[in-house]
Amino acid sequence: MLTLHQAGLTTTPTIAPLDGTIRPGELLAIVGPNGAGKSTLLSMLSGFRPAEQGELHLDGTPLREWPIAELANRRALVAQQELPGFDWQTDELLSLGSNPSKSLVAALLDDLDLTHLAKRSVLSLSGGERQRVMIARGACQLLSRCSPTAKDGGILLLDEPTSALDIGQQQRLMRQLHGWATQHRMAIVCVLHDLNLASTYADRVWLLHQGQRIDHGLPNQVLNPTTIAKIYAVELQHIEGGPQGKPLLALAP
Amino acid sequence: MIAILHTDRFRVRLPVSRTTRVLIGLTATLLLVLGWAAASGALGISPWEVLRGQADPLSVQVWWQLRLPRLLLGVAVGAMLAGSGAAMQGLFRNPLADPTLLGLASGAGLFVAVWIVLFQDSGTGSLYGQFAAGFLGALCVCLIVFGIAKRQGGGSAAVMTLLLAGLAINTLAGAGGGVLAFIASDEQLRQLSLWGMGTLTNALWRTTALALVLIAAALWLLMLSARELDLLQLGEATAHAAGLDAARLKRRVVIATSLGVGICVALTGVIGFLGLLVPHCLRLWLGPGHRLLLPASMLGGALLLVVADTLARTVAAPAEIPVGLLTSLLGGPYFLYLLMRRNRAC
Repeated sequence: MLTLHQAGLTTTPTIAPLDGTIRPGELLAIVGPNGAGKSTLLSMLSGFRPAEQGELHLDGTPLREWPIAELANRRALVAQQELPGFDWQTDELLSLGSNPSKSLVAALLDDLDLTHLAKRSVLSLSGGERQRVMIARGACQLLSRCSPTAKDGGILLLDEPTSALDIGQQQRLMRQLHGWATQHRMAIVCVLHDLNLASTYADRVWLLHQGQRIDHGLPNQVLNPTTIAKIYAVELQHIEGGPQGKPLLALAP
Repeated sequence: MIAILHTDRFRVRLPVSRTTRVLIGLTATLLLVLGWAAASGALGISPWEVLRGQADPLSVQVWWQLRLPRLLLGVAVGAMLAGSGAAMQGLFRNPLADPTLLGLASGAGLFVAVWIVLFQDSGTGSLYGQFAAGFLGALCVCLIVFGIAKRQGGGSAAVMTLLLAGLAINTLAGAGGGVLAFIASDEQLRQLSLWGMGTLTNALWRTTALALVLIAAALWLLMLSARELDLLQLGEATAHAAGLDAARLKRRVVIATSLGVGICVALTGVIGFLGLLVPHCLRLWLGPGHRLLLPASMLGGALLLVVADTLARTVAAPAEIPVGLLTSLLGGPYFLYLLMRRNRAC
């Protein structure tokens, strides 16, 4: 469990102090316009940019008191697409950062529809395939390093995990993330651009604007057309009757 | 992974990993080549006869005092240059990083030349001074290059900037060397030109023994970084989340590389392109994992330099070609080829 107590960043890019709790088993979406500070916030949650004011606690211990190596047992990050410098084979890349069993690697490859690419070089994959490989690697790190006595599955931080995926793969990924969250009691934090994905799959949403979290809560409360239209400066058409009665947002022509 | 030996009647499964097999194979090849190199030279001396005490005193003297230290120095310098090339490529996450291309070697060379011309007296401290100058020179360039890399962030533009910075440093060091040649005395000039072209002729036990120890330490530091270099390939933020202390890794690799390359240059001058050529070829064969790539590059570099040096001192015997010329003749075109292939891919 990750808790924030007035945690923020004072040097640019800044994050205004915020409170919050990220609980095991939930899927939290961070949304907001370009430059709102979503990736920066993720980087603060991960500890890569330590909070410059306030505190973050992971499992009750301040984040900055965790040794880097132990922290890696409890949280993993999948940053936005970065080309690996060299030509790793898919299954080798999955094992970077942990020492997974063969069966775990096979299971994760299967989870993300990558089994047929296991022996391919990652540089020869398409953007979407590579993105799924990197997500599988993050999950692999958490699942293989998590101690069997841990009470939950740790935190998986994902920066725009669907940016290169087609809609079929988006659906499979979001369902899979839900699956991991419930099955392993993992907390999953996603930066998402697609508000409808956030509304359909997230348990809770944080809405960011200019470095401030201006709203948080259930998707259908936060993602209401009036707020969204204002902070994104966009004209929307609101379509009622989305999945499970959740609202859908569409661009007005 | 399991190696399978086929014999006439049955199969034996050896629990030997690919890593072990590759490293044993490379070591065996290196030993064979060393045997050949130990027997080749202007004077045909059989190492067997020397070791069994059957050779004439002059041959024994030449073999023990000149040829053996030279072989060992070749092994150490080859391993160091190729190993540091592999490590720097890992650190910059780019296959074009190399101690010569980024200017480390010429920076070290300039500092050593400054030491020889301005500070060296003929006392016994000169050797340590030369080593220290080499280390400092390489370290300065390393810090400059890192400063630039940090400003640029990641991406392929950063790599081009690094290579251009290396070009500038190489040019600057060349000009500095030219100025030093002007003010050097005849004796110093002779020393500079002997050393400057990249050659293993300066291998004497007095210099080689210390160099071997320091280079071994640097290689060991690099080996300690293998797993962390693998992690760094994920990008800095992701690697941090996977347990990597990138700052510590950088410090360690910079110190090991500067120490090792500085000492190599102080003793042998600039021997170019080994650090580019060897890891690149081995990566194509073995994949990018540093736990295998680093030791394999060290062995491969040793192998290549011993072969090149033996050719350098035998093809035109009794005259000798500077081995740095040979490696540059081999590596330069290969680098151009790499650049052309990269541009097509972009």
